[in-house]
Amino acid sequence: MAAYTTPVQVLIDELGRLPGIGPKSAQRIAFHLLKVPADDVARLAHALTEAKAKVRFCARCWNIADDELCPICADERRDPTTVCVVEEARDIVAIERTGEFRGRYHVLLGAMSPLEGIGPEQLKVKELFARIEPEGITEVILCTNPNTEGEVTAMYLARMLQPFGVRITRIASGLPVGGDLEYADELTLGRALEGRRDLSA
Amino acid sequence: MTNPLYRDTAVVLRTYKLGEADRIVVLLTEHHGKVRAVAKGVRKTMSKFGARLEPLSHVRLLMYQGRELDIVSQAESVDTLAPLVSDLDHLTNGLALVEAVDQMALDREPAPHLYRMLVGALRTVAERSGPLVVPAFYWKLLASEGVRPELDECVRCGAEDPLVAFDVAEGGVLCRSCRSGASLSPDALAVMRMILGGRLNEALDLPASPITHEVAAHANRALEHHLERRLRTVAMFESH
Ligand SMILES: [Zn+2]
Ligand SMILES: [Zn+2]
Repeated sequence: MAAYTTPVQVLIDELGRLPGIGPKSAQRIAFHLLKVPADDVARLAHALTEAKAKVRFCARCWNIADDELCPICADERRDPTTVCVVEEARDIVAIERTGEFRGRYHVLLGAMSPLEGIGPEQLKVKELFARIEPEGITEVILCTNPNTEGEVTAMYLARMLQPFGVRITRIASGLPVGGDLEYADELTLGRALEGRRDLSA
Repeated sequence: MTNPLYRDTAVVLRTYKLGEADRIVVLLTEHHGKVRAVAKGVRKTMSKFGARLEPLSHVRLLMYQGRELDIVSQAESVDTLAPLVSDLDHLTNGLALVEAVDQMALDREPAPHLYRMLVGALRTVAERSGPLVVPAFYWKLLASEGVRPELDECVRCGAEDPLVAFDVAEGGVLCRSCRSGASLSPDALAVMRMILGGRLNEALDLPASPITHEVAAHANRALEHHLERRLRTVAMFESH
């Protein structure tokens, strides 16, 4: 469906591959970019390539980092024995805002979705298990989203973590189910974290 | 469209993220077949829909009819999701059911029988987690689609004994001289006859064994053959 001259169509196609951007939005953004001054576009392009070149994943927790370790893992004052497992790095931002959590994180880079064929192999699950003993982790808090995919992931991890003999907890169901963690306000999220329940037998 | 607003009950088969906070929900409705609809703002934690539009939810809906996508205006729960999502086996079994139904149902083609089967099966899955809950549903699903497997006589020559193979392409069992497809044990054949012959509850009570495993493997293959695609839920949890 090459409706426009090629460079415009290539731009629309590329934008359309971004998450949450449908064909109509892609078209709107493309035509917006064609209208703005060349400097603005150059700055955007520079920001994209810079971020991609300089930002990487934390070698320990898969958070966004600009060094070997992310700022949280590099912070000596954080409690290494408690690890909060989240789906995406942006969930860390939400939990940090609550000021309730002093441990470290582990980012799965997604959630299990049996209907989409996304299983534990596609996520940073092995990497989580590999951290338990070396880091002396005693509690794993499962902070995946309170929706079906997040629950599958949490229950799967709870089952697989059983043999490690650590305390396994799940954030309290005070969070409205169906919503994404990143939209939860800090008070609700803080309370959910405080009221986490035990999943370990 | 003269009357774009309608009411129906439905099971949520799956959901897709749409934009920042919306979701597309794929529904099997009682009277309007499979419907795709937009649920606006559903991913915001203060959404009026709450948890009611997650996969496996059973809901009463008020909807606006659209050209391709309908719009969910109101949703209230019929059955609570809690027993399904509080146990990994219940949940993965439930997802295996909706995946099969999603592949089977046709857009906007009323299938009240399929809807009732799914609701019944989800209620079963919420209560029990035997090894045959999902395979039995697959066999029932195939039977209701008009592709009930032949289990009584060889599909090629009509011999009744001994039946030693099951061939999904042939749609049933085969005797020793006509055999093709996968081999079939007498015990597995007995269980398959139980499921399709009105003794479902007896079959669902069976504990996991090589026999139930074999019945499940035949069911998966038969359904995958009918749908002409792999079942993702099955593939994912087979290995665990
Ligand atoms: Zn880190
Ligand atoms: Zn024969």
